[in-house]
Amino acid sequence: MSSKRKPTNTLIILVFIVFLLLVPVFLKSSYWLHVLSIVGINVILVASVHTIWCTGELSLGTAGFMAMGAYSSALFVMRGELSVWGAVPLGGLLCAIVAVALGYPFMRAKGIYFSILTLLTGEIFRLTAWYYRSLTGGPLGLSGIPSPEPIKIPGIALITFDSKISYYYLILVVVLLSLLILFRLQKSQVGFTWRTIRERDNLAASVGINVLWYKIFAFAVGCFFIGIAGALFAHFMHLLAADASGKFGMFTSIYILIYMVVGGEKKFAGPVIGAIILTLLPEVFRPMQEYRPIVFGALVIFIIFFMPQGIVDLPYRFLSWGRKIIGP
Amino acid sequence: MTYHIVFCHGAERSLDPKEGTLAKVLIKEVNRVDIGSVPVLQIGDLTKYFGGLGAVVDLDLNVYQGEIMGLIGPNGAGKSTVLNMIAGTLSPSKGKLIFKGEDITNLPPHRMAKKGIARVFQSNTLFENVSVITNVRVGLHLHTKIGFLGGFFGSSYTHGREKLLYEEAMEILRFIGLSDQRDQLAINLPHGSQRALCLAVAMAVKPNLLLLDEPLTGMDAEEVNVMISLIKALRDERGITSIIVEHNMRAVMGLCNRIAILNYGSKIAEGAPTEISENPAVIEAYLGAEQDVA
Repeated sequence: MSSKRKPTNTLIILVFIVFLLLVPVFLKSSYWLHVLSIVGINVILVASVHTIWCTGELSLGTAGFMAMGAYSSALFVMRGELSVWGAVPLGGLLCAIVAVALGYPFMRAKGIYFSILTLLTGEIFRLTAWYYRSLTGGPLGLSGIPSPEPIKIPGIALITFDSKISYYYLILVVVLLSLLILFRLQKSQVGFTWRTIRERDNLAASVGINVLWYKIFAFAVGCFFIGIAGALFAHFMHLLAADASGKFGMFTSIYILIYMVVGGEKKFAGPVIGAIILTLLPEVFRPMQEYRPIVFGALVIFIIFFMPQGIVDLPYRFLSWGRKIIGP
Repeated sequence: MTYHIVFCHGAERSLDPKEGTLAKVLIKEVNRVDIGSVPVLQIGDLTKYFGGLGAVVDLDLNVYQGEIMGLIGPNGAGKSTVLNMIAGTLSPSKGKLIFKGEDITNLPPHRMAKKGIARVFQSNTLFENVSVITNVRVGLHLHTKIGFLGGFFGSSYTHGREKLLYEEAMEILRFIGLSDQRDQLAINLPHGSQRALCLAVAMAVKPNLLLLDEPLTGMDAEEVNVMISLIKALRDERGITSIIVEHNMRAVMGLCNRIAILNYGSKIAEGAPTEISENPAVIEAYLGAEQDVA
């Protein structure tokens, strides 16, 4: 199960991380740093959904759980007088607890039924935020969400979170940490068991695997990180609104699914690459923003037909084409 | 020379080997296997209704330590339903399942595996897109003993366990005769080898009781022979008790210590293979149909 990682892969990842650390040095535009931070949040979302997908269940409640993480973390700080540093993990934890409670009945439904259940539950979470005016501000939105408190490292530095650059680094650190945890988890014994459940759940059960609990665990882990992403989003935007066309609408969940499919769900890096490329693409073609659903739809159809393994498979494809043309 | 026979149900008697075929067969079986007198599995009043249809009705059956119990009957007689209830996939409408003195009625499949009941599914059910050895490695799930944190951080203990589990899986593959194909994808194996691999995965659970649902379907004569000798070896070398549902009558007669016949969800006969083949009720309900065709 634990295949030896190729040193080239590790090198590519290291170079990429160094590149990400250096981005703010030559990219001064706060607009692009904002976009990159949103990319980071989408990366956490897609990696979480991919973790749930390891068991063969597709959760479409991403936006709803994100809303729960965002609102709970914001309210913990604004009403509960908690520190942002405590509220963010607490928001994630709340999502995980709700995921366990919901997973117990939901995970008995398989495949498309589970997806529909999560999709609708996500909508219920959003609508709750929309209608619970006294707590969430309802259609007016929840504004004035505070930034994280400054970190004091005595004698060395004082890190404040008042610029896009500091947010960029904060989100980068959280993204890398989340990815590291999810990657290790997917490659561990637990991840191995998840994949056996995805392939044949009846055989998995017959050799003693508690299919239901392994699925609920995956759902809880995924929702924890979705909650973290939502909480980060809240303290990053300072303003939350739960309208259907916003970040917490159903479309976010669908887009996350598209990122995963386009990137390639077979490998851990696939969804991450998909999220990065597909979040940046509409920004590059800003004038065509309104055509985004059409472009995405066409892209997904193209990818499914011609590259069922996703973008992540592209280098290997080029290699094999190259071999065909040049010879081995 | 006389033989002293202790029957499964506890009765004893002495026999002359010249007494007849029945005695000869019995002696052969009794000499080869030491069948205990304590039932491993007691099935009492087992009933399963699908809607208004009684798939299995009031089934009483004891399966003894170290025997191969055949479960035969025409299609739709409820044999697979019985296996599914023992495996925990279906929960009985009524009745009790006692395994090694413990009530296991209504336990879910993974708990049944933990108790020591493994199964081979009717169709080839494998993790098709992973290697042969990985399939067996999954079967060892209950014996993995890699903690969550150890697995997460990749401790040296985990690596040691991995190596040990690999060795264990290889040992099972050598027993089954698939050790040369260990790195092939399961989906690329021929049908007979896939079936054997199914058996290997079930073996990895280290069961006391093995449920085999038509292990010989779709096999050629050579594959059937290999499979039969494997199931026999499981009994003789590892003391694994089996319940086998099978349509291949020649194989069932040669393989089983005892046979129970189901028809329309009820047991119509039970006994040693030779007794069964001479039972008029059985001939009428089951074997008779075959003779008509012949």
